[in-house]
Amino acid sequence: MSAEMPPPAGSPGTSMLARAALALYPAAWRARYGDEVRALLDDSGAGPRTIASLAWQALPAWIWPARHLYDRPARMRASLATVLAAWTALTGLALVFAQLTQAQGLRPASHPVVQWSYWVFDGAVLVSVLAVAAGGLPLWLLMMRSAHREHRRREIAYLLSPAVAPAMYLIVLIATVRLIHPAHGVGPWWFLAFVVLGFAAGGISAAGPGLALRRLRPRGPAVRLAARAAGVAVAAMSLAGAASIVAAAGLYSWAPQYAGYHEGWPLGIYLPTVLLAAAVAIVSATRGIRAARPTAAA
Amino acid sequence: MTDRLDRWADPPLLVLASLADEPKHGYAITQDVARTMGVRLSAGTLYAVLSRLESRGMIEPLESEDRRRPYRLTAAGAHALAVQAERMNQVAVVARERLGALRGLAGA
Repeated sequence: MSAEMPPPAGSPGTSMLARAALALYPAAWRARYGDEVRALLDDSGAGPRTIASLAWQALPAWIWPARHLYDRPARMRASLATVLAAWTALTGLALVFAQLTQAQGLRPASHPVVQWSYWVFDGAVLVSVLAVAAGGLPLWLLMMRSAHREHRRREIAYLLSPAVAPAMYLIVLIATVRLIHPAHGVGPWWFLAFVVLGFAAGGISAAGPGLALRRLRPRGPAVRLAARAAGVAVAAMSLAGAASIVAAAGLYSWAPQYAGYHEGWPLGIYLPTVLLAAAVAIVSATRGIRAARPTAAA
Repeated sequence: MTDRLDRWADPPLLVLASLADEPKHGYAITQDVARTMGVRLSAGTLYAVLSRLESRGMIEPLESEDRRRPYRLTAAGAHALAVQAERMNQVAVVARERLGALRGLAGA
């Protein structure tokens, strides 16, 4: 063992900023190395360079998690739950975009950038939904069979939420629209209420399978297939998000009469929200795909 | 340009070299690398490297009674270090020979 000893007492303790930087790391990483890093910071001090280095290295710790820290199936399940939540948010945003632009019934043919963005958006959304269906259905069936066999009613309810929550939302939506009888479409406040309610339904739809994944702990080829399909779905939905940003910016700049809004603030909310959801989805899907690799060691 | 050549001294290599003589904990590694190789490893870089090397089975942690857990080189880590050291040695031999020839030409 080395004779290197820490400097005498009096060296600065771990600063709040260094602790905050350490909090940026994944929980499994902190559980394994957190105490050691704090000891090192106590010994060597935590200057700005150290804090910046700690904060910067947190990003690769998320994107390329150390394989020895994770159980691979658990890593894939956690990734799938996060990807499903982020993908649902992106899908909700895509629906809002489509409602505010394409569903207005007018397409700016004289603006090829907007038109191409629409086409890319439509194609990418279709690919993404198909990937979720193809990759998610075998896993959903596996979990449903397991929950049914073990008479786990709560898990069955969780698994049914992606069908029940949107159905309930549509029933409420249709009933409300019939009740208020809008002459020229719903007003902005009703639209906002429907959007908020839609995102709540989407949240329930995504949370159900996420909870079922955590409680039923499925393993095997269905989980690996879902992890890979999640990567395709996220890539396609992120492309759709990028296309929608180009289209929305194009409409705002060139042809606001073809959009369901005439001010800049919806774009100001839409753009960062899409980017944030896409970033979460991409990082988590990458972690899942890495865990699904056959060569990865547990 | 000269500073950028420091990049060939990869932190994983420095850590493996530091652990080649005896097990060390994080602070001891940073002190050893700074003293013997002239490179200051920050806490973020050091633990990113330790995590990666441990994941690849090139180092392993030892039991420790306090928070300063020492690490030691594994056989795989020693092999990887030996291979890399041989490559670096070849580069150094070629570089010295050619620099010597260049100085000889300049002196002629």
